[in-house]
Amino acid sequence: MTEIVVEVKSLVKQYGSLRAVDDVSFELHDVEVFAFLGPNGAGKTTTVEILECLRSLTGGSAKVFGYDVTKREDVKEIKKRIGVLPQEFSALDKLSVKENIDLIGGMYKKKLDTREVIKLLDLEDKTKERFENLSGGLKQRVGVAAALVNDPQLVFLDEPTTGLDPKARREVWSVIYNLKRLGKTVFLTTHYMEEAQILADRIAIINKGKIAAIGSPQDLISRHGGRKILVVRKGSKELAKTLQDKYGSTMFDHGGDVVVKVDDVKEMWQLLGTLTDMKMDKEIEIQAPTIEDVFLKIVGARITEEGELK
Amino acid sequence: MIRPLVIFLAVTKSWIRSRSGLFFSIMFPVLLLLVFGAIFGGGVGGGASTLFVQNLDRNPNGTATQLSSAFVDALNSTKTFAIKDVPADVDSKVWTKNNLGPLGGNIRIVMISEGFQDDVLNGTLKVRVGISYSLLNTTYQYFAPYLNESEKMVYEQGLAQMRQYNETLSDRRTSLTLAFDASDQSAAVIKNIVINVANAFNYHLIGATNVIEFKEESVTSNRYGAVDYYLPGIIAAFIMTNGIIALTANTTEFKRRGIIKRLSITPLTKFDWIIGNVLSQTLLSLMLTAIMILVGWIVFRVQAIPDALTIAVIFLGSVMFSGLGMVLGGLVKDVEAASALGNAIAFPMMFLSGTYFPMDFMPSYLQSIAKVLPLTYFSDGLRYALIYKYTEGVLSNMAVVSALAVAFIILGSVVTRWKEK
Repeated sequence: MTEIVVEVKSLVKQYGSLRAVDDVSFELHDVEVFAFLGPNGAGKTTTVEILECLRSLTGGSAKVFGYDVTKREDVKEIKKRIGVLPQEFSALDKLSVKENIDLIGGMYKKKLDTREVIKLLDLEDKTKERFENLSGGLKQRVGVAAALVNDPQLVFLDEPTTGLDPKARREVWSVIYNLKRLGKTVFLTTHYMEEAQILADRIAIINKGKIAAIGSPQDLISRHGGRKILVVRKGSKELAKTLQDKYGSTMFDHGGDVVVKVDDVKEMWQLLGTLTDMKMDKEIEIQAPTIEDVFLKIVGARITEEGELK
Repeated sequence: MIRPLVIFLAVTKSWIRSRSGLFFSIMFPVLLLLVFGAIFGGGVGGGASTLFVQNLDRNPNGTATQLSSAFVDALNSTKTFAIKDVPADVDSKVWTKNNLGPLGGNIRIVMISEGFQDDVLNGTLKVRVGISYSLLNTTYQYFAPYLNESEKMVYEQGLAQMRQYNETLSDRRTSLTLAFDASDQSAAVIKNIVINVANAFNYHLIGATNVIEFKEESVTSNRYGAVDYYLPGIIAAFIMTNGIIALTANTTEFKRRGIIKRLSITPLTKFDWIIGNVLSQTLLSLMLTAIMILVGWIVFRVQAIPDALTIAVIFLGSVMFSGLGMVLGGLVKDVEAASALGNAIAFPMMFLSGTYFPMDFMPSYLQSIAKVLPLTYFSDGLRYALIYKYTEGVLSNMAVVSALAVAFIILGSVVTRWKEK
């Protein structure tokens, strides 16, 4: 069993009548990417900021590296050991990339050489560029560099790709992917399904302050994603009827495609065998459910690009 | 002490590279010094003020009488006025309004009434005859016991004739009229100059000399100009606004952009953060002082030479106001509120603390308010240190400033939020 880096038990955060975090429990293990996936206002940032010792908790307990976030002396130890990219990261506009990283680095006794961090984030040719002149994607990379400057074991990335264009988003993804290779434990919050599915070892789906499901992407998909789908392009009504009689859950859609929902791998092979016996020569496509299907099933809604439920 | 230094370096660099910051913190005060120096540097109005004179005392041939033109010459000799004649046959107020010139200006008219010369001569004669009579009379009374009756009669007849003659001289005084606009700020000064000229004229005519001579002397050993008075005031006022307005706005902007939040996740403490910012502001204040004194010296030849005590005063004052800035920055959330609050505190303080106007001119309730304003102590302390070299005055004022500096920094670390709700 790997070491437990973060341990949260029955965490509650109450703002007046609003329960922003409602009895949340989870663990983070050493060297994994853990994603909090949920819409805006689900309690992602609140939970993360409690772990970063930025907010107090109302109930339950939260420990980082075994240190209690509510104890003054423990907080000092936690702050030394974590790296953070806050939501909507910003730095001093008039300072260069290096100066901004040096500023954060200057807060730690034990830290990496700034040049090393700059190299890690592939920012070498931007070292002297002022922060105000950087693109959104580069700014986020500076933020990640600042988060790594104290060589933390645990890195919090709060909505690291929100507001970025697809290209910049992919750049940040590759940075996050590298963090795991460097042996870091990453706590990622996001409202992008694809981001969670691609990057995370484990995902916690969070909505209205509660964790609705938790597990690896594959695990969540197989538990909640529903059935795989086999599509026969440009099929016929007869084919649809034959497959419906034999396997059920078949439909003939407007585009002339025959769509069959398949329960499991065994049934998929049987179906493929049937199609082979029929000497079928049409295009076929197998569609696996995604985290989006899981989310839709569990929460009953999708998340828009802006992070709202719809 | 490493972390405050890192903060100090970062915010100072950030400030030096910001053009608007540089303008408002350094260039603006320098401009203001130049403007103030130009306005107040050279006596009343710097150059000559226009004074309209309408002389109604004319000879039958239309020329001005001898005495009235002598009075106008006396006004002219003060070198304070550029005298402009108003024709005798017009309404002087209407005429001056139409003849102010394209740029306008203040209307100040001295009107010399008709009969000025006659009245002055008559009055002068009456005074002189009166004096002679009283002198002769006193002498007569003293020597009367030694005179025979016929001698007494001759003297008494003579004295009676003299008294009779004096009674025939009229009591009428001649009058001068000075007309000016109620809103004219310099009218009081001009009135005094005109009255002084008239008095000197009076004395001269009756043959009197001044018994009391008035001398002006400065309490300081060197000769200081108006700019020397304003310089410490402007420096103090801008150290205050840099602390209260600029630092408050900066801190709020850092808060809004999440920079304070990012820093608070690191081992940096609130106290380190405040000290770093205060140090940066203090460096800025010292730079401001150096530049202001340099410009003051180059342009106005100010005499103020900063010594170690002055630097200590600047340091403490700057710590106090940047401490206050950190308190305000900790209290307000958005930049607009910060700027409004900073201005609301800074501007009344600037005008109530004797920075630009000596407090003696203010009503007593305003003077009481001034006594509780931190800037009063700072600008007084700075003036004592920089100009009067009055160490005791510096120390007593700086005791208050130091106490407030400590209080503001402590209060700043209480109100600065290092943790979200």
